[in-house]
Amino acid sequence: MPFVVTSWFGHRNDEKIPSVVREVWARKFRPRRSQRGTRQSNVDFAVLDARGKLVHWFDAVGSTRYARPTDLVTNTLKQLRLGASRIRSLGGPIRPRTANLLKLPDAAPGKSGVRVFVRLDDRLMPAYRLPVVEFVDLSARDWLSLQWPQQPRTVDASVLKKWLAEVYPPGVMERVDRKTKKAFSISSISGSLSLKAAVPDADARYAVASGRVRLGDSGGDGFAFEGDLDLVLTYARDNPAVQTMRGVFRGTYPRRDRIRQTTRHIRLEAVFESRPR
Amino acid sequence: MTRLALSLALLLCAAGSLRAEDLAVERVLTSYHLMRPSEKDLAIYRLDWASSLDEAQRRAAREGRPICLVIIHSKYGDIASGHC
Repeated sequence: MPFVVTSWFGHRNDEKIPSVVREVWARKFRPRRSQRGTRQSNVDFAVLDARGKLVHWFDAVGSTRYARPTDLVTNTLKQLRLGASRIRSLGGPIRPRTANLLKLPDAAPGKSGVRVFVRLDDRLMPAYRLPVVEFVDLSARDWLSLQWPQQPRTVDASVLKKWLAEVYPPGVMERVDRKTKKAFSISSISGSLSLKAAVPDADARYAVASGRVRLGDSGGDGFAFEGDLDLVLTYARDNPAVQTMRGVFRGTYPRRDRIRQTTRHIRLEAVFESRPR
Repeated sequence: MTRLALSLALLLCAAGSLRAEDLAVERVLTSYHLMRPSEKDLAIYRLDWASSLDEAQRRAAREGRPICLVIIHSKYGDIASGHC
């Protein structure tokens, strides 16, 4: 794909709406004689030329009408190709991108932190099964609670809140404030981890931290979910500071179906890796 | 499947000479490798993302490339943050 990709979000009554978004919405919400055969979603794609001029737009769902996920993918690719071909037909330049390298959220130069991958294994919502990736900046102070255990000790999981707070499903509609529509954030973490040294190898010393943790959100209704957290930490032979961390969370998320008045318990997984090492 | 087989093989090879603490290290690292999303799962991060429409427009003009803008009609929907 030759595109520079970006996103924008907002409402039609917002004060600052980019002109190209106004243009798309003016076309989208224009009264029509018939809208049979199409569905409107709250996501649109716009293709702009290199000068920022709108050349093509389409509703993310549109004529596919939520039929099958593969139809959405096929339609999106078809529409993007159509947009690119319109730019070509207008004589606009399309310089291809040189390489499609994987670029994950990461530490800024000279900084460090933890990368978190989160996935909700909801078989009824395939999009939620794709991983969300977040990066959390950490200072040396944030790592102190996990420094080398001379003796086995217990670590209060709440001190890891900065990055454990990213462990929640992507876009779960029911856990939002009804008035503001803002998603609730993880506000409380409890549980304890057992931190024990393991046998070192030639390069480093190892320790394992394991335990059950409970994450509650800011909804104020006592909602929470739990899981097992396991971390492997490495240390230099002569320094108690954490060098690297790798870990996993395996939990269960109670997803409430407001229509059927049932709760499904869905596997929620997270993977953690310290960065840049 | 290949990753699973390789990880299990590594774990089994190592298990013969390890103590309980080391097995815990191997167990967690094996889970980490098995659960970490594959490059295919992370394909969205192969796209050339710009952090804002302004930045995308500056880069597009400089590099002579088109822009794909995803417009989300919602008060909260920052897909650049991962969770939306």
